[in-house]
Amino acid sequence: MKTKKDIKFFINDREVVAKAGETILNVARRENIYIPTMCYLEKVNPIASCRLCLVDVEGSKGSILSCQTKPTENIRVKTDSAHLYKQRQNIMKLYDVNHPLECGVCDKSGACDLQNKNIEFGIDCQDFAVKEPHRKIENWGKIQYDPSLCILCEKCVSTCNQAIGDDAIELKFGGYSSSVFLKNKNSKTLECSTCGECIAVCPVGALISTDFKYSSNIWELNKIIPSICSHCSAGCEINYEVKHSSTLNHESKIYRVTNDFENSSICGAGRFGFNFANNPHESNLKNKKFDEVVNALKKAETIIFNSQITNEEAFILQKLKEKLGLKLVNYEALNLQKFLNAFGRSSGETLPNGKIEDVENADQIIVVGSRIIVENPIVRYAMTKAFKNNRAFITYMHPVYEHLLHNVVRQFIRYEVGTEEGVIALLAEALLGQVLKFDLDVGYVSGETNVGEEELEKIFSIGKKSKKRVLIIGSDLIAHVKRENIARFLGVIQKFSNIRILLVPEESNSLGVAKICQLDEKESGNTVGYNMNGNYIISSLKNIGNFYIPALNQQEGTFINIDQKVKKLNVAVPFNGLSLNDIANKILNDKNKKQNTIEYTKNIFGIDFDSLENMQIESQEIEIDCNEMPHEISKLPTFDGTLVYNSRTFLEFNPFSAISQNVNINETVLIGSEQFATAGKISDGDEVEFEILGEKFRRKFKIDRNMRGVIALNPVFDKSLKSYLLSSIYKFQKVKIVKVAI
Amino acid sequence: MGTKVYFSSWRGEKIDNRDKLSENWVESTYNFPVQYSASGNATAFVGWEGIALFRDDIDVVRLATEYASQYQKYSEACGRCAPGRWGGRILYDLFDKIARGDGDFSDLTHLKEVSETMMETSKCEIGKTVPVPLLILIKEFEEEFIKLIKNKTKSKDYDNNVNYNALVTAPCTDACPAHVDIPAYIEGVRDFRFDDSLKATRQTMPLAHTCGRVCPHPCETACRRTNIDEPISIMELKRIGADYETDHNLDFIHPVIQKAKNGKKVAVIGGGPAGLTGAYYLALDGIEVDLFEALPVLGGEVAVGVPEYRMPIDKYNQDIELVKSVGVNIYLNSWIDVNKMREFEKKYDAILVATGTRISKKVDCANERPEIQGYWGAIDFLDKINLYEKYGYKLTQEDRIKHNINNEYVDLTGKTIACVGGGFTSMDVVRCSIRAGAKRVIMLYRRDEATIIKNTTYEEYHEAVEEGVEFIFYSAVEKMIDEKDVLKHLHINKFKMQSDSNGGRPKLVKVHGGDFMIDVDYLIPAVSQSADLSLLPPEWNIELTSWKTIKTNGRDYMTSKRGVFAAGDVEYGPMTIVNAVGQAKRASSVISRFVQTGEISLTDNEIMEEHLRKLGVYNKKEKISGWLAGQKRSESEKLSVDERKTNNREVNFGFTAEEAISEAERCMRCYYISMVAR
Repeated sequence: MKTKKDIKFFINDREVVAKAGETILNVARRENIYIPTMCYLEKVNPIASCRLCLVDVEGSKGSILSCQTKPTENIRVKTDSAHLYKQRQNIMKLYDVNHPLECGVCDKSGACDLQNKNIEFGIDCQDFAVKEPHRKIENWGKIQYDPSLCILCEKCVSTCNQAIGDDAIELKFGGYSSSVFLKNKNSKTLECSTCGECIAVCPVGALISTDFKYSSNIWELNKIIPSICSHCSAGCEINYEVKHSSTLNHESKIYRVTNDFENSSICGAGRFGFNFANNPHESNLKNKKFDEVVNALKKAETIIFNSQITNEEAFILQKLKEKLGLKLVNYEALNLQKFLNAFGRSSGETLPNGKIEDVENADQIIVVGSRIIVENPIVRYAMTKAFKNNRAFITYMHPVYEHLLHNVVRQFIRYEVGTEEGVIALLAEALLGQVLKFDLDVGYVSGETNVGEEELEKIFSIGKKSKKRVLIIGSDLIAHVKRENIARFLGVIQKFSNIRILLVPEESNSLGVAKICQLDEKESGNTVGYNMNGNYIISSLKNIGNFYIPALNQQEGTFINIDQKVKKLNVAVPFNGLSLNDIANKILNDKNKKQNTIEYTKNIFGIDFDSLENMQIESQEIEIDCNEMPHEISKLPTFDGTLVYNSRTFLEFNPFSAISQNVNINETVLIGSEQFATAGKISDGDEVEFEILGEKFRRKFKIDRNMRGVIALNPVFDKSLKSYLLSSIYKFQKVKIVKVAI
Repeated sequence: MGTKVYFSSWRGEKIDNRDKLSENWVESTYNFPVQYSASGNATAFVGWEGIALFRDDIDVVRLATEYASQYQKYSEACGRCAPGRWGGRILYDLFDKIARGDGDFSDLTHLKEVSETMMETSKCEIGKTVPVPLLILIKEFEEEFIKLIKNKTKSKDYDNNVNYNALVTAPCTDACPAHVDIPAYIEGVRDFRFDDSLKATRQTMPLAHTCGRVCPHPCETACRRTNIDEPISIMELKRIGADYETDHNLDFIHPVIQKAKNGKKVAVIGGGPAGLTGAYYLALDGIEVDLFEALPVLGGEVAVGVPEYRMPIDKYNQDIELVKSVGVNIYLNSWIDVNKMREFEKKYDAILVATGTRISKKVDCANERPEIQGYWGAIDFLDKINLYEKYGYKLTQEDRIKHNINNEYVDLTGKTIACVGGGFTSMDVVRCSIRAGAKRVIMLYRRDEATIIKNTTYEEYHEAVEEGVEFIFYSAVEKMIDEKDVLKHLHINKFKMQSDSNGGRPKLVKVHGGDFMIDVDYLIPAVSQSADLSLLPPEWNIELTSWKTIKTNGRDYMTSKRGVFAAGDVEYGPMTIVNAVGQAKRASSVISRFVQTGEISLTDNEIMEEHLRKLGVYNKKEKISGWLAGQKRSESEKLSVDERKTNNREVNFGFTAEEAISEAERCMRCYYISMVAR
């Protein structure tokens, strides 16, 4: 990489400095100098379609575009003048040609860039009109597109392609009749991950959410609650936009979720799956119930819970364990603890050292054991950026082929189900082969895993040329029975190479729970399920269980996210009942009682909830005599027959996203390859039955021609609290598929 | 030269014959397309820099309306900025309003206002230049507009049938022999839409990998960006789309959906760039294509001539696979002779001869006898090297004896090689010789350094110097000196350039006493190549050029025998890949119509292409506005001399993502629209 020096120049007679790669507009924004734009979006490459950002440069003929022009030494830029104002005004007049005057019923009204710029440039009438072609409103499922409102700024298509990676929409060029259209011309619906970012970035009302449409004027959503999304380990910052439910019902309701779309992107589960607040009927909240739950806990031997809870809740559960001598059972978090312990003994550090930012900057990325596209969409967006901006070489290792990743992934390696330990061993050999030798029968392992030596050679040779390398580890490896040996391999990779390891935890707060709780191996006796099934169930899932507690958008608390950052949840809508803290206060009954749950934040992180900001959990060095080396690999398991992979879908991550009324619960189909259909003797559209962990599934079967191998994707989010158990075990399960006669 | 016009305004030259009798009309110095085609003459021309009216009875209002409408019709490459998109539409609507007799005076004001905004703020040149001729028409023929507005009458040709043919081009596209839509593929890179980029290239150029690596890029010499700083690195941006397709194992991206088989059959002789290109577009058009190649491998000179380090064969094979993917029937090791040709005449609806120039011409020195050991034609020399390096074909025992090689491949360890040449082939010879381990490699060239750079590329020459090739300029071989038919020395003459006192071209004159001898093991003549025409049945009487290549009119590429076509080096003489591609693309278009209709014809776009080429699209004196000068051209990383000179690794890494985007952002999208009225 050539080193580029800073460039000194002048904007409106003020001396400014551009760093390498910065455009005039970048510098102006950094220096708080205003240049109007309609199509500029921080997170994508300059689009250069709106032309409003024109500036004049002394000595240069004609106005130039500031968004895509890098300054040269000592130029003198003027961002405003009567002439530029006039040109911008003229551009606005053109934008207004035939733009429907339907602001009264437009969803964007009040937050519309076209309105704002018209006001800014004093355009008070439509000077020009032309014959309008027929433009049909397109309905793409959760997204609606109205081409007559579209100003063709291209923010949506650039975002879809550059920030997300779906590349599902593009611009159909045709002068005046240009419009946004589906890239797959044979399809009527959007073939995408339904992240809804196109809606978020649309400056006008052309792309809108069909759910939100006509539900509220934007300016009435005056309660904007910053919080984080609770659906996965990314912990994205979002805003819940809230107002009363209706004229007669004054209860608060979340109308939509928005995000800082200029700089970041969120996924569809976060954007559309927000309506899971627990608002039970008053009768369920009587004190009688309060005694009941306290008694249930006192009688119980075990509390079973999952990791989609706050650190504070986890801390209280730990306190209850200590007070009542209970067992705390959370299989998924226990697996993570075991994994991290083994990792620590071999790496000498408590935590893997990769962050999402490392993925974005990487030039080589390897993903193993994760359907990353749904396990953590933000990591996937970072992969997209790494490919687009650094042309990163991305290797995707998973038994399930991921068609939507084909335009960023260079190398797909479909390993045999169950052989993850061998896969990691081969990777370690390929990545560290020159530094460290493992006692590994490469021929045997390569044969059993179906990871070819040529493929490994490619990873090795790319690795030699790459400067920033990241290895992304998914929950398949943590749920795997050989997790500890896998962790040892990863530990030595972190220790003996410059490869950063990014661990993708299964649940939103797995890292927090693993840090806070002392977990037991197995439940016994009477059980209380905390958002899990048990003899007595305490649940925040709407209308489920014996005792109701607030959902994650109804409480304050913290998560530790994938980047090991402490993120804060806030109350978007109130809960008119009791919380775990109230129960604990009754049981603990000591002087440490806390009025509010978040008073425990200080016990956990040593800092008040309110003062907590961008706290980073630092990985600690561990005192070890020597780095524990991976153990020799014995026989690798084989999985024959029909397999399902218990997986999320793009919009449904868990029962909470699923019950959000806006999420389409009918998507619970079993999706498999043609080979799967042949092996299971079923065909597209058949009703099938199968069983996992005693849970019976009955699903419609659908063939996806892009899938390969005898594997089908089985969603589990519709199995209420049981779904946590199904998603925290090793996700590949051998099943017997029975066709249901209808 | 020059054109007789009634009125013209072009590139600052204004000719106004409006008050003159037609016999007194002053000519314009520009080559406007008056003779549109064999079927008729043009009446007017409208383009990005002005207008030319060839008669005094032109309906200028209709002309303006049509030009604005052509912009609408042809803007499928555009529609990507507010001023161009909406402004263009308003222009058309307002002109049409006036032309149909509904105009108001305020429309003229609006037209000027919108034009000004488009010219100042449009994204690409098409939006910036469309108003230029329109404003000239309004200004120079104002009374015609006013008349219609006042009288509320239709313009005189409004309901008449007048033909208007328009073409969108760009200086780079015009300069490219294959007329590749360069701004479109650059835009694809800029937008991270590599598939769209590749699709744009493949509209007229199937060899995207190849011409993204080894094209002499005449387009870059016609790049308008040169007027403010440096030309865009056009060639290197081309391979990005192709690399993307290959690296991600995507299905081949074709520019159009392949047509259903129409029952016609064409034989293509020769599997080099021209043959492959012809076969590809014919097959896309639904024609059954049989392609015959004499060598055991496809690719022609680019495969067996161009060395691996410059054009990795696996990348070229991707281009070849693309051609195969549309169902072309390939016959390797198929030498076609006169008898076969006679059979083909009956068997096929047309024949395309694309056999190249595969005979190395002589150096023209004394004692130049092919039987001398050490005298080795460049084409055969490179064949032997590349067939081994790329495909593993070993030297035969016969070849080893003939050329005195002690290994199964061309091993020149300890040997001295002299090559006579100055073009690409000779560069390949000397650089391959370095890689084959030669002790000393000498290039003998009659002219100077500047000329060799002009004939090849700057990069090529400098890379060769870096690798250790000795260039002896102003030199020529006088005599080969052998001992018992084994080459030992060369007698060299030295020349100097003498300027002509009469102002003519400088001449080369021999330097007296400048002669010297060099000891060599090999002399490789790489002066030029000629075509092997032994396949042409004599009774066909196919006309040849004075260069002994097959003669065509250079437009439809049909030989003097109907149904037999020729394209590429066999037609033009040794030239570039892109030239072969361009010719074969055109030939395939003509053949496709010929086999289906029996007629030899060009499309209007092809006719317009030729007219614009004559008129000249790139204007190197033009002052550019709207772009900041001083944006440096990106340079891609190359292997260092030590890393490359002993092996065949690809020298050029290609752009990094960052370099590619910043280079693509420099492109000014110089699309122009031009139109002829008939």
